[in-house]
Amino acid sequence: MTYIRTISKKMIYDAIIDAIGQIYCQSTPETIAMINNALTIEEDDVAKDMLKAMLLNEELAAKEKLPICQDTGIVVVFADIGTAVKIENGSLYSIISQAVTDVWEKYYLRDSIALEPIRCFSSNPSKTKDTLQPVILHLSEIPGNKLELHISLKGGGAENCSTLKMFNPTATINEIEDFIVDTVVSSGGKPCPPVFVGIGIGGDFEQCAILAKRALMVPISPFEKKPEYKKMEERLLNQINQKGKGIQGFGGKTTALKVNILSEPCHIASLPVAINIDCHAHRCISITI
Amino acid sequence: MRIINIELPLKSEEIKMFTIRDKLLISGVLYTARDQAHLRLTQLIKEGKPLPFNLADSALFYCGPAPTPPGKVCGAIGPTTSARMDKYTPLLLENGLKVMIGKGERSRVVTEAIHKYNALYLICVGGISALLVQSIVSCETFCWKELAAEAIYRMEVKNFPCYVATI
Repeated sequence: MTYIRTISKKMIYDAIIDAIGQIYCQSTPETIAMINNALTIEEDDVAKDMLKAMLLNEELAAKEKLPICQDTGIVVVFADIGTAVKIENGSLYSIISQAVTDVWEKYYLRDSIALEPIRCFSSNPSKTKDTLQPVILHLSEIPGNKLELHISLKGGGAENCSTLKMFNPTATINEIEDFIVDTVVSSGGKPCPPVFVGIGIGGDFEQCAILAKRALMVPISPFEKKPEYKKMEERLLNQINQKGKGIQGFGGKTTALKVNILSEPCHIASLPVAINIDCHAHRCISITI
Repeated sequence: MRIINIELPLKSEEIKMFTIRDKLLISGVLYTARDQAHLRLTQLIKEGKPLPFNLADSALFYCGPAPTPPGKVCGAIGPTTSARMDKYTPLLLENGLKVMIGKGERSRVVTEAIHKYNALYLICVGGISALLVQSIVSCETFCWKELAAEAIYRMEVKNFPCYVATI
């Protein structure tokens, strides 16, 4: 028998304040290890200089609790809610939005939201919020009585280099891989390389894009992925890095640190492919309540 | 990699001495401007109205700072994507702008205008705010405060690290 577990507003609010308090001033430990590795294999002197600056920045930011990037991003949350969970007092969105609003003030993070996307439609085009800061929230159900939150601070520069294409279902692997490699390489220095490349394959138009975002954020067990996709990730990473765009688009051996693919079933007429890019200031965390 | 200390404003003959990928440590005054500020500057020029600062020989930093915490010189800073400013840049160069600091590649039109007006485009590493703030001597809102992070800020910098991307 499953008992319904009630999770209080305060537990969720406090967990989000704590989680964002950890990530605004530090990339994930995995990211820092990968930048260190990129520095070890790099031969170009300018690329090395830039990688060293990134590593020094990570140290300074963590020590002094300063943002690693002035673009403290838009907050994206994937909330996986156990079917036996009841959230007390209010919607999950309102709790997250309140926590984000408060943590933004606490750590002097930058208001980077335009409340009205078409700025000239607003009498106050620089308005960033009413009372609460908007966030992007994706909800899904999981078995059990836990609430899992995957939280990301997503910068605008890398997001702008993201794209989606509706391929024909008979498209070849080469055509798909060329599209992905071209997207990353033609972005040059704009998304602040070395970047993370999240790929969504399948689903429909919007699910594909959501998969690409989730591929950037959520650690995936290697056993959950078909070996064909793992090989495709390795090929893509090699192809992207062989093009030599490099650190900040200024040359070097590492343009991308990681490629992660997530796939879902799709319509027989379709083969959607989405690419979502994140910068080296990779601010993600997963928490379980 | 050559490392060169420079003082702003730059003299025309100094720009000719640099080569692509030189590292420059800049000291002097930068004005921040991103999308909305570019839109306004361009409108003022087209209407023949005075600009809030003297564009001739000035340096623009494509940056929207985070709020300044108490006791600090400035909040988090760093470059935003320069390509979004490409549409406005040739007119600003024509009106005397000399140095731009941002990240990423510029359009062919902007690159040609940089050559024509003997200007300089520098990139600054993105996502290293905690390191960059160490080079900031002062930072204050200069005008258009209502634009918040997108306002124009006047920043005095010392040994601010950049790399030559286009000359």
